[in-house]
Amino acid sequence: MTVRNITPAPDRTGPASTGRPAPSVNRTTRSSTTTRRHRAFYMFVSPWIIGFALLTIVPMAYALWLSFTTFDGISPHWRYVGLGNYRELLSDSQTWSALGRTGLFAVTSVPLSITAGLGLAVLVNRPLKARGVFRTLLYLPAVIPPVGAGIAFKQVFDQNSGAANGVLNVFGIDALGWLTDPHARYVLLMTVLWGAGNIMIISLAGLQDVPRELHEAARIDGAGAWRTFRSITVPLLSPVLLFQTVTGVIASVQTIMPLLLAPGGTTAAVTAIPQSNYLYMMQVFAEYFAFGRYGYASALLWVLFVLILIATGLVFRFTSGVVFYNVDPEAKK
Amino acid sequence: MRAHAGVPPSRRRFFALAAGGAVGAAAASGCAMRVSTGVSGPGETVTLMVKPDDISSDLLRQAQKDIGVKIATVSYDITKLIAMMTNGNPPDLVRGVGATDAPYFAARDVMEELDPYFARSSVLEVTDLDPVNDLWRYDGRTQGKGPRYGMAKDFSQDSMFWYNTALFDRAGVAHPAELEPVTYEEWLEDAKRLTRRQNGQTTVFGGSYNGVSAPTLLASLAVAAGGSIFSEDFARVDFTAPAARKALNWYVEYGRTGVGPSVLQPDPNGWDGPTYQANRMAMSNSGYWLGGVINADAKLAPLSRLAPAPVFQGGRRVSPCQAGTGLWMPRKARNKDAAWRVFEWFFGEAPARARATGGWGIPTLTSLRPLMPAQEAHHQRVLKVQEAELKHFSVIAFTPYATVDSLSAVFNRFAPAAMRGEMSVDTLARHLNSAMNEQLERGKEQVG
Repeated sequence: MTVRNITPAPDRTGPASTGRPAPSVNRTTRSSTTTRRHRAFYMFVSPWIIGFALLTIVPMAYALWLSFTTFDGISPHWRYVGLGNYRELLSDSQTWSALGRTGLFAVTSVPLSITAGLGLAVLVNRPLKARGVFRTLLYLPAVIPPVGAGIAFKQVFDQNSGAANGVLNVFGIDALGWLTDPHARYVLLMTVLWGAGNIMIISLAGLQDVPRELHEAARIDGAGAWRTFRSITVPLLSPVLLFQTVTGVIASVQTIMPLLLAPGGTTAAVTAIPQSNYLYMMQVFAEYFAFGRYGYASALLWVLFVLILIATGLVFRFTSGVVFYNVDPEAKK
Repeated sequence: MRAHAGVPPSRRRFFALAAGGAVGAAAASGCAMRVSTGVSGPGETVTLMVKPDDISSDLLRQAQKDIGVKIATVSYDITKLIAMMTNGNPPDLVRGVGATDAPYFAARDVMEELDPYFARSSVLEVTDLDPVNDLWRYDGRTQGKGPRYGMAKDFSQDSMFWYNTALFDRAGVAHPAELEPVTYEEWLEDAKRLTRRQNGQTTVFGGSYNGVSAPTLLASLAVAAGGSIFSEDFARVDFTAPAARKALNWYVEYGRTGVGPSVLQPDPNGWDGPTYQANRMAMSNSGYWLGGVINADAKLAPLSRLAPAPVFQGGRRVSPCQAGTGLWMPRKARNKDAAWRVFEWFFGEAPARARATGGWGIPTLTSLRPLMPAQEAHHQRVLKVQEAELKHFSVIAFTPYATVDSLSAVFNRFAPAAMRGEMSVDTLARHLNSAMNEQLERGKEQVG
């Protein structure tokens, strides 16, 4: 059957009954336009769909299957264990500790980085001399590859030759072992702040979208800078802040920065991460690459996937009442 | 009914086509993966999975000239190796650490037995093999015996140490005897006296002693103390046994005193070379191979001495190799004859001679030992100590049931607390037993 074969059924009350062909032609033309649009749509999205299937769906399905086995990549006697890996996970104290640390890291690092990024955005949104230079300098760390940043942080915070302890010594304070427990967690947080330029750029774009009239009206009404920021800027920025919160939470639970701060530069580095930086992804990494437990590590990843979905849902749930959309998000539905 | 070209596919049909495309692309990528190994035909191209430093591009070109075999290299990566092996398409030769990888892979039956190849080789004669190559033997139970599965490219006795005479003299510490070992207790005392600190920073490390990895170091120390960390079947560890506990106690004490880098005080470089070369480390637990760095430094070489592996009071004198890095051939390699020709060339011909003269390790063929650097006085001093030490070499068998990284991870999880004095050595020993034995039990089940 083809589009051209479609003939409108005779309708005594409609134009077809009059014998005039024009509406039929119009309909056919409309139909072929729709066809072309559909075809174009599918052609444009098909690379993504194929890529998504190959690089996301297939690996996820494979990982799900692995999570029901004791597969280690090499041994001949791996077997199907059903939910055994998931049951083991429930009683694995190392996994629970790592998960707890990751939660703590997320609730610390996300507000910290958003606050820092927003603060920087407010600063460079003001009419300053050489504002562009400041914006560039503040954004620059965000474009440095994490591996490079990891190496730099290791050198700066090395106990015996790092610049950080050099500064402490100037003030008569003894050197600290920054890269080991209990200080390693602070260096990890500093790496998060190091990348606050990303948040700054997005917040800056949001700030520039805030109508000036609202600020002027608030000033006329006698509102101070803090009140204006709290009652006008923050509500109008709330969709941006929500986006940053969601992506920040996801990024923080998936961070591999502790690995880049660990001694050595290979997969074996995961074996020497200080316990305070031993986050959930480090446990996954260690189970895959140090312990060779592909099945168990895949179960850990699937649990993480579900937890991220839950965490994202919770963020949306608890922020739905405080996020202000300048444009009604329901309008286009 | 055939869909006309002008009709848009239904959603269901579109997703079916997309899935088909995905499967097709996956199949195509599988084919591409096979081609990428470079196995273009018997005797023509051999794929090596190595690290960039293992073989230079000049040597790769030379291989084609010398033996008519083209070598394609794949950067060493355990995940890539597993993917290639799972795909049934492994490299023809793979880099490995004899001391720890050989029993692990051999027990999983993925290595090709090389005895038949050695038997018919005129380049690599078994009588010419240094005993260190026994690290690559495994009889199904114990490392060091049975069929050969690989060969070391060069080696060092990794419990030996180098020392800087200028730093000893500055601290007023007597030099260790040239050929007689110090005890581990003396070594640690010397290290404490040689350490210099200022404002909480260590300006001179008295000594570094971390072995190649914590598990291989502890295994070596326990043998030196007269026992072993492993049970006879290598399926369990016992750090509460007297010799293993003595070894553990010594290493925890080493970490606690902070005389050298450890998991508590990691070296940002990841190895001793730069710190030793900067005259900031008086003793470095590195074998002969560190001479490659030292000999290239005209100021440092005359000041440096190599010393025998220490002993424990009342223990055995042993001087093992904790690495023995070399190559092995996967059982499912596709081009075994050509791979063996490359193996012979790499271990017995031009590359082997180049390594022997370079001073970065002891040759693994005894016939190549005369090529070791001996022109300068410092070369000769080092050679004298090294030749005497070879008599004390022995294979210290490692467990086939766990990777060295997995045991390192367990050690590094618990040891810092003991090194900080927050946990007793006995408690540490119990934690290690519990967590490592869990790993070993799982590994034993996998091996079957």
